[in-house]
Amino acid sequence: MAIKHQQPDLVPLFIRYVGAVSSKLSRIHGIAGRDLEIKLGNDGVIVQIGINAEYSHKVVPDGERWTSEWGVTYEGMRGISQPVDHPLKEPDVSGYIWPDPHKPERMAEIKQAMARYHSDYAVMVDLSCTFLEAGYAHLRGMEKFMMDLHLSRDFACQVLDGLNTYYTALGVHAIEQGIDIIRIGDDIAGQNGMLVPPKLWRELVKPRMESMIHAFRKANPNIIVKYHSCGDFSAIIPDLIDLGVDFIGTMQPCGQQVDMAAIKAKYGDKLAFLGGLDTQQLLPNGSPEEVREAVKDVLRSYAPGGGYVFMPGHYVNLDVPLENVWALLSAVHDYRRYPLNFD
Amino acid sequence: MEIFEQISNAVIEGEFGEITDLVQSALDQGIGANEVIREGLSKGMTEVGRRFREGEYFMPEVLVSAKTMNTALSILKPLLVGDTTQENVGTFLIGTVKGDVHDIGKNMVSMMMEGAGFRVIDIGVDVKPEVFVKEITEKQPDVVGLSALLSTTMISQKETIEALKEAGVRDRVIVLVGGAPVDQNWANTIGADGYAPNASVAVEKAKELLQRRPHS
Repeated sequence: MAIKHQQPDLVPLFIRYVGAVSSKLSRIHGIAGRDLEIKLGNDGVIVQIGINAEYSHKVVPDGERWTSEWGVTYEGMRGISQPVDHPLKEPDVSGYIWPDPHKPERMAEIKQAMARYHSDYAVMVDLSCTFLEAGYAHLRGMEKFMMDLHLSRDFACQVLDGLNTYYTALGVHAIEQGIDIIRIGDDIAGQNGMLVPPKLWRELVKPRMESMIHAFRKANPNIIVKYHSCGDFSAIIPDLIDLGVDFIGTMQPCGQQVDMAAIKAKYGDKLAFLGGLDTQQLLPNGSPEEVREAVKDVLRSYAPGGGYVFMPGHYVNLDVPLENVWALLSAVHDYRRYPLNFD
Repeated sequence: MEIFEQISNAVIEGEFGEITDLVQSALDQGIGANEVIREGLSKGMTEVGRRFREGEYFMPEVLVSAKTMNTALSILKPLLVGDTTQENVGTFLIGTVKGDVHDIGKNMVSMMMEGAGFRVIDIGVDVKPEVFVKEITEKQPDVVGLSALLSTTMISQKETIEALKEAGVRDRVIVLVGGAPVDQNWANTIGADGYAPNASVAVEKAKELLQRRPHS
């Protein structure tokens, strides 16, 4: 409802915690995983599938290495895994074996989540890193893939095509399970704007996203399409509107996105937003009072009239003191009721 | 001279397929390697830096330009051995701090610094404070860069500066910090000399702080 630009009774919550924080909270509450997130107030659950899924939640001891089915090797570092070796050593995909998106077991976790939560909560399936980030962070390595976009354009396009085929099929299977929201995207922006030229993104990624979204809407015309990038991706927001994206996040408050009210005024009739609260300085280093004020500020900017789901600008990471987690949760529970009132 | 303009244009446009021939042609004309670097490559990279700063260039273009510059440097550097006329802007040592393996920011800064005439020593990623101390003691750089992408690892920048203080080498170097969650406020808090939001500004900051440093 909130995403469809109608004002619900409450601003929905969708706060994500990195594995190590989740484990800490789990010891306090005696429950874990999605049950814990729901208990802490979330109105939806997320299931990640694809290249990013295993990696982003796998807690392994520091220094331990493991290799995914995509042939990417990761190493545990301070509670998260980081890619350290990439399968596409040369600009050539001919010998690369793409994972099969049609394996029935890929839907197992979605089926479980649907059975357990869908009667009361929204279910989102996350396919990011879908295009560029899968290429640069996982399959090829950042410097190489960034240069491939200019120097080996055909190869870069073949990688993007392989990803498009895989994720379109995977996404359609997910949508057929009856989910509410499908999330695609790549981290394609930094603190002060895009990492790649918007023109290049429009040439290489936009048409592929268009065919993907078309296939998703064919499977379910009402599926909510969410786009994700970290950083300031405001340069391509009009393109996302062109593509029929419904919902964007996580609106990290950096670059042009610092002015949250301006973003809401400019695009709020066409897009719903997720996120906005600073996780880089405020959440780890601010006082509980500052966290409370910042929550009010984000709600004041993005929440009026609906079209907003509350989340910090990223995961709650393990550098956030627990007292700030409590401050965040208590503030959002105090101020998320419509009509909004911040007194 | 036309050849300098051609070389700097090749860097700007990232024409790395052509740079080898251009450099060879300059050398054939009797131009010294040092002059090719100063008048051709560095001027090109300065313009790349400007375009990056002003939002005309993004990461892919900068990387291709840097690759072009490095192709040229691989020909020119061996010729510089024993050349006492070469300009030495300073020595720059950089690493990504402990717990963080992200290297793209570090690499972009290294490339820009090299383009600006710094001698660059890159000591890699996930560098422990004691390794920074050891490398700084041995290599005696003028400027040190500490890179961190994550809010969970920027604390290692602080730990590194503290380790430098304890080892008594902090005041021998100018310390610059950078990375997504880092800002001037953080730089002040942890006692760094400067902060730069991107690779191009890092070069300007390093030059500016070097000029202000009292000459020993």
